[in-house]
Amino acid sequence: MVKNIFPLISLLSIGIIFSSCKPKIDASSVISAGEINAQHFVAIGDGTTAGYMDDALYHDGQINSLGALLQTQLKLVGAGEIYMPLMGNANVGTNANLLSRLILGYKTDCLGAIGLSPLRFAQQGEGSSLTTSVYSSQNKFTNFGVPGLRMIDMVSTAFGNINLPQHNAFFARMSKDQFNLPGSGAYSSVQENIFDGGYPTFCSIYLGIEDVLPYARSGATQNPMSPLAGFPGLGFEESLIQLCEQLYNQNVKAVVGTIPDITQMPYFTTIPYNGLNLDATNAESLNQIYGPLGFSFTIGSNAFMIEDPNAGAFGVRPMVEGELILLSVPLDSVKCHQYGSVYPLRDEFVLTLAELQEIRNQILAYNQVIRQYSNFYGLAIAETPDFYSGLNDGFVYNGVSMSAKFVSGGAYSLDGIHLNPKGNALLANVFIRAINKKYKATIPQINALNYPSIYFP
Amino acid sequence: MRVLFQLFFLFLAHNLIAQGFQVNFQGQKQQGMGCAGTALPRDASSLFYNPGSAVFLNENSVIVGGTPVFANVLFIDSASNGAYRTNSPIGTPFSVYGMFQAKSSAKLKFGIAINTPFGSTIQYEDGWIGRFALTRLSLKAIFIQPTFAYRISDNIGIGGGFVISKGSVNLQKDLPIQDANGVYSHAELAGKAIGIGYNFGIHLNANKKLNIGIDYRSKINMKVNDGEVTFSVPNSLSANFPNGNFTSSLPLPSVLTLGAALKLNRSLTFVVDVNAVGWKVYDTLSFDYKQNTSSLSDTKSARCYKNTFAFRGGMEWVALRCYSKSASNEIMTEDAVVTKIPLHELLVRCGGGFGISPVQNGYVTPETPDANRAYGTIGLGYNFNLKTGIDLSLYYTKIKRADTNIETQISGTYTTIAWCPGISFYYRW
Repeated sequence: MVKNIFPLISLLSIGIIFSSCKPKIDASSVISAGEINAQHFVAIGDGTTAGYMDDALYHDGQINSLGALLQTQLKLVGAGEIYMPLMGNANVGTNANLLSRLILGYKTDCLGAIGLSPLRFAQQGEGSSLTTSVYSSQNKFTNFGVPGLRMIDMVSTAFGNINLPQHNAFFARMSKDQFNLPGSGAYSSVQENIFDGGYPTFCSIYLGIEDVLPYARSGATQNPMSPLAGFPGLGFEESLIQLCEQLYNQNVKAVVGTIPDITQMPYFTTIPYNGLNLDATNAESLNQIYGPLGFSFTIGSNAFMIEDPNAGAFGVRPMVEGELILLSVPLDSVKCHQYGSVYPLRDEFVLTLAELQEIRNQILAYNQVIRQYSNFYGLAIAETPDFYSGLNDGFVYNGVSMSAKFVSGGAYSLDGIHLNPKGNALLANVFIRAINKKYKATIPQINALNYPSIYFP
Repeated sequence: MRVLFQLFFLFLAHNLIAQGFQVNFQGQKQQGMGCAGTALPRDASSLFYNPGSAVFLNENSVIVGGTPVFANVLFIDSASNGAYRTNSPIGTPFSVYGMFQAKSSAKLKFGIAINTPFGSTIQYEDGWIGRFALTRLSLKAIFIQPTFAYRISDNIGIGGGFVISKGSVNLQKDLPIQDANGVYSHAELAGKAIGIGYNFGIHLNANKKLNIGIDYRSKINMKVNDGEVTFSVPNSLSANFPNGNFTSSLPLPSVLTLGAALKLNRSLTFVVDVNAVGWKVYDTLSFDYKQNTSSLSDTKSARCYKNTFAFRGGMEWVALRCYSKSASNEIMTEDAVVTKIPLHELLVRCGGGFGISPVQNGYVTPETPDANRAYGTIGLGYNFNLKTGIDLSLYYTKIKRADTNIETQISGTYTTIAWCPGISFYYRW
């Protein structure tokens, strides 16, 4: 017995010795902040920076926000703790209309077919969060991402004034003077809040999407886009300049994101313009209705009918290629009640070619000034449009196919506009690469696969 | 001969070598000498290395051996600096040989070789960055090779055998789909594979000191016909990922070897082998699912391996040799010279080699993080008496490869360290 044990033990010990001979991690990969001082980092931006996703601001979205993810990497080069205006950890969340976040669930449509669809997580959103102050004078927020924040809102004192109907509740809850009594003193702007008690040493600025998005989401019917010209608070360009000036005067470096073509987002691209599928009977009856107007329908795929005041005497026409239907369109009406065919889609659900041109030109104009002043003030530029259009073309990231496809594409959240955590991580890498390039830093990028995308039931 | 050795060291200087998922552990004596020995019949493992040389062994013998592979891979992601390791199980290449002759010094010999010249199991740690390309791959192939060898003259022997290869493949990876708890989906493809081929060799005793051997082992196409694919995905997507059957195939390349052995004197022998490996057959790895859906389509992944060479060499030195007094142990050696078998013999071996990776830039995958490689080996042999003996060997290599895979965009540096201690026992009569 003893005789048999000896070789066994020696074999085992040989095994242990050889297993322990592992390749060593090369310590030569140095992490460096380059020319930036990340110590007091502040992320400035809209819903993407705040972590608004699935059409709500909620806890898990916030901790996977662009701002939080950027700061997590910047902590490797000296950034401080992340302080953000966190929502309740039950992850109900809320949007401005007090609705909870969206989750993917089963829904029976008007035809009786059961399928996966975004549904509200709870009957009601976390409305009380919006009326409770989360301001703390000790732990100043490092994330000034505010859902709905426009470039032109940065210096607005109305933005956090709860006495005004147009105030932003997401900002009011984090502002330092949330509890001002009505009429007792002024309300601070976002910018005053950021600079309160000392300037940051480094910033990320990702503003401008909200200067066009509400207009696009209304089908270009309301919420006009911020004009380029005008005083700070009114015009995009001057609002940007005054922010850059302040940072420049305090020697604050920053990375500034350019604005993607928002009309490439799934909210605008999921429903095809020619998704009207007709059988012989329906095609024939539509031909009888629209024949006199000169529109004809065929069996199979046809363009949806839309309202367009400029389209002849009746203000109705079929869509043309390139025009977009918004995800806000009532899909059951389309499927079961001839909405989009017998009854044309209303203007608020559609972006026509002319409207798209207007929106895209405005984004180009914004980006031009963002690039111009970022270069002028020596700030790094994160070209996020390249990332977003990359999603539209589709790309592979560490063996995972990513695209802008709604739900299955893996990058967007269920609202079709904001990115999910994985998408935010990939976007944060765009900012990190920009910082590394401009400021000669070597901050590691994020392994985006460590962040979730969409949960399937 | 000198030219050959100069060539050998010239290539060594360029630090070239590697061999996909080929495993060159088929005989402890050869392993001790840098895995070379095509022109040097030492024992029944020549049935594999060169059946033509086996006829110059005047013995019946059986060998059983194995070489546990302790391999560790470290992957450093170039974008995030993240470090990930493998925790692969210990590899278990083994070999069993039996060689028989009707009577002493017979011209015809029969043998059977059972070994594992291809295969690997690689398992990455949980949550590693390439998990959606691969989490675990286990390839196994057992070659069974019945062999005949014939001595045409005192100087020339030929031999050949059919190879039946039985194997299995098990490939697992995560799918980037999360369930309601955030757990990622998983796919497992498992199947049995079978293939056939042959092994043919010629041995030439050029003169008393120099032997030449040529061996050709054919390509073997391992076909998986009724593989089973198992998905674990969220319930809402189970119709998109139906469990079912798949077909696939994996080609094992041909190996053409030219070897030489130089017996400098009674106690010092040098060997050198050059392998030409037909890796070009591994062009595409495809999986054909019996049932396709909108989410599950057949896959074709380019591998684009190229044909390569490997250069191996080593030496054997007789450290100790003593003879028994009886004269009954006289045998005819491979030189057809009657000599005595030593009663006790201690042999010391060492060697090394280098090979060019068949994997081109842009095609390095987690399943075979291959690179040009140099390796070193040492070995010991000892016979307890006229009939039984033991051989030991130790193989070491460290390889490093930085690449960005074209298909998966996995980008980083793989470093592999492998220690492979081997042991075999023989019995001859």
